[in-house]
Amino acid sequence: MNLALAFDVLLAAALLWSAWRTLSTAQIDRAVVMFIVFGLLLTLAWARLAAPDIALAEAAIGAGLTGALLLDGLAALKRTDARRPARRTAGKVMVRIAVISVLGLLAGTLVTALISLPPAPIRLPAAVAGDLANSGVSHPVTAVLLNFRGYDTLLEVAVLLLALVGMLAVGLPPAHPGISRNSMLPTLARYALPLMVLAAVYLLWAGAHRPGGAFQAAAVLAAGGVLLNLSRLQAHWLPASRAPRLAIAGGFLLFLAIAAALLAHGGLLRYPPEQAGLLIVLIESGLTVSLAVNLAAFFLLRSTPENGQIPPATAPRESP
Amino acid sequence: MSSGLLYAATGCVIFALGLGGVMLLDHLLRRILAFNLMGSGAFLVLVGLAQRDGTPDPVPQAMVLTGIVVAVAATALALTLARRWHALTGRDEIGAAGKQRGPDD
Amino acid sequence: MTDTFFVPLVWLILLPLLWATLAFMRGPDRGGRLAIAGLAAQLALASVLAGDIAVHGPRNHVVGGWPEPLGIALVADGLSAVMLLLTQGVTLVLAIYARSYFKPGASPWFWPLAGFLVAGMNALFLSGDLFNLYVTLELVGLAAVGLVAAGGTAEQIAAALRYLLATLVGSGAYLFGVALLYGSYGTVSASLLGELVGNDAPLAVWLAGGLMLGGLLLKTALFPLHFWLPPAHGGAPAPVSALLSALVVKASFFLILRLWLGPFASLAPQIAWLPALLGASAILWGSWMAIKTDRLKMLVAYSTVAQIGYLFLIFPLLGSGKLALQAGVLHVVAHGLAKAAMFIAAGTLIKISGNERVLGVTGTADRLPVTVFAFALAGVSLMGLPPSGGFLAKWLLISTALAQGQVWIAGVAIGGGLLAAVYVFRVLRLAFRFSTAGDTIPPARPAAQLEWTAFALAAASIALGLFAMPVVSLLEGVAP
Repeated sequence: MNLALAFDVLLAAALLWSAWRTLSTAQIDRAVVMFIVFGLLLTLAWARLAAPDIALAEAAIGAGLTGALLLDGLAALKRTDARRPARRTAGKVMVRIAVISVLGLLAGTLVTALISLPPAPIRLPAAVAGDLANSGVSHPVTAVLLNFRGYDTLLEVAVLLLALVGMLAVGLPPAHPGISRNSMLPTLARYALPLMVLAAVYLLWAGAHRPGGAFQAAAVLAAGGVLLNLSRLQAHWLPASRAPRLAIAGGFLLFLAIAAALLAHGGLLRYPPEQAGLLIVLIESGLTVSLAVNLAAFFLLRSTPENGQIPPATAPRESP
Repeated sequence: MSSGLLYAATGCVIFALGLGGVMLLDHLLRRILAFNLMGSGAFLVLVGLAQRDGTPDPVPQAMVLTGIVVAVAATALALTLARRWHALTGRDEIGAAGKQRGPDD
Repeated sequence: MTDTFFVPLVWLILLPLLWATLAFMRGPDRGGRLAIAGLAAQLALASVLAGDIAVHGPRNHVVGGWPEPLGIALVADGLSAVMLLLTQGVTLVLAIYARSYFKPGASPWFWPLAGFLVAGMNALFLSGDLFNLYVTLELVGLAAVGLVAAGGTAEQIAAALRYLLATLVGSGAYLFGVALLYGSYGTVSASLLGELVGNDAPLAVWLAGGLMLGGLLLKTALFPLHFWLPPAHGGAPAPVSALLSALVVKASFFLILRLWLGPFASLAPQIAWLPALLGASAILWGSWMAIKTDRLKMLVAYSTVAQIGYLFLIFPLLGSGKLALQAGVLHVVAHGLAKAAMFIAAGTLIKISGNERVLGVTGTADRLPVTVFAFALAGVSLMGLPPSGGFLAKWLLISTALAQGQVWIAGVAIGGGLLAAVYVFRVLRLAFRFSTAGDTIPPARPAAQLEWTAFALAAASIALGLFAMPVVSLLEGVAP
């Protein structure tokens, strides 16, 4: 027990250190790398907290996909905020000190409050375990996500779709060139992709009985899509292209349709216990495809087609 | 102190760090990183605090899964906005929040 | 079986999600007619729901058949009904306006974004689960940001970025509060927490309340957390500004009310002076900036900052009797109608005159009489002149403030009305002036939809003053 706690203390310290370094590093590309390190440490923390589903999601989505988006964004934005303003007025310095003090006080008060918190009156794990048999799946987290609190998941898929529409409305960045044709990456991608698809299918199927599920599966598929795109085996998608839009909307519409159809049988998302398992598999399959395309689209959807040329490494890609 | 409570306490500090980062940093990419830290801090508290007696609790775990997906959606939108801003103006910060008013003030 | 299928409150959430997704699938610049049909259906559903609540009291829907605390409950009471009616009604009129306002290609994804915005707001008004409310807050926030940025100008992108960062900080703080509450009590159900949280709540609950309130105040743009609002509302296209000022900021205010009257009811009265003080400052500062600014839409946006202040004056008065809550809700509705009218009237004026400055409205009264009249009517409601809805709201606020001995609140309300008169008459004086520099307004008349939608909303805000009883009676069951 002591060894475990010592590990936790070390991990917590590492988390704090990497978070601090993310914000304080002078070079911004180091900041992004530190953030990815933070994400991987966080994955370990989730594992220590007996939350393997979150660990999978954090690795794939939190560190993986977000990391890819950040690195791609980094390439476009300036690499260093070199012009660190030395001309901070006294007033601004005072404000900064005040903000930092207040936040420090907040953090301290929060930690104190947590330590002195009495046990909670309601304990839900027992309720989940009690109704698990009727939920259609045997893994508690999946039961909560797709059944007991499935309405949260419905809205969350809408948020993901909405973010894509928002990106379309703002204006997409231009296509990036991808890796040179002479690199190992396309070969690696060709070998890796079938394994990734296999892993995704396994994660989807496994989610009913053990950690896994639609989100993790979709993240792995999306990562495969990004890999294909980077190795230039898959072209960028354009805003006007219909197929990605239909794929993204399809899974969500399936979910909506099932949710609404169940209204006729008693209530929103009220699965009949005998068919709950089947319906949940159906919804999760649709969502896996749909979410995979949606997450991949965050990376692949661009305003211009790829021009097939390999630009010199230092040429700026953004047009003013 | 149980491990759940330890991670929850860590989450509090990370949340405060992230909040400070969004408020005080200038570069847009750093502010996006900071907002992600805020979210991660909140997630640690959500699970860590609920599991402070050592029993895994699937409800906050499902909530954190939802939260991670929402965070990546927000990050993607934020990055697109930042890149658009940079493409239009060449700048990577939008100026201190407290000082910005309407363009004619 | 069929009557479990026709549950208005569920369809109010599913329907906008459906047409928003279909609009997205159809592609850029598509979805307008779909949206209007959907909104009309939603308005009908909201009316049915309101009627049902008026007769039978609050309606519940247990999602998935799993009762709280395991599952999520949807709750529709009088307050939800009023907000739902306001949202569907105003959005429907704004949709008609937007169809004529936007040239093809100006905002190609307006319809799916608006659909998700409405879906998120409806879901917010109906949810009884604090974590679910976080997801709805994000739905509303991201949709609003997308709408602001859709114009594509650098100014709008900057405004959208500022808005996005503010809204994410706000919902992040809210989420942290939810995490503390779950850790403290083991549930995020609003109704269960209402029973569990008492005067002896641990420190963590106080911190949760503070963080959630702070986050939501940032989203509602209460002074001094309002910095993101003027650029966003003043710079966005007119229909978007109208949606944001009339409805979106009211969604987070609704949530503050819910938390104040629900889970935090025993803790809240001790800090009630704070929102009221900030509200008073908002009224003074916002009105002052509206008087000073020389851009028309910025004037209207600062007016929103000021009017939001009124909403927070009610908090010290909520303890005794229902009048304060009625005053607040009436103000939400009156301001929603009037501000939407004012923004789209301003949008039409700017579109036709080609001039964004306040001076640009000079002489428009004879070219665009309906639009200017709409602006004037909306101004009447904002100033609080009888017989408008704004007057009724202010009169309720003043009388309950005096009855409870809070004279300063009454004074601020009256003063705010005078300040509003200054900036409203600034615009009207110019509009009715003969243009001495010759006819600078092109002779083309705007589409009828642009003018009469503004008039309809403005007239509704006046009519509210005469026909407020149904709204008030809906609020009967809501506990102050």
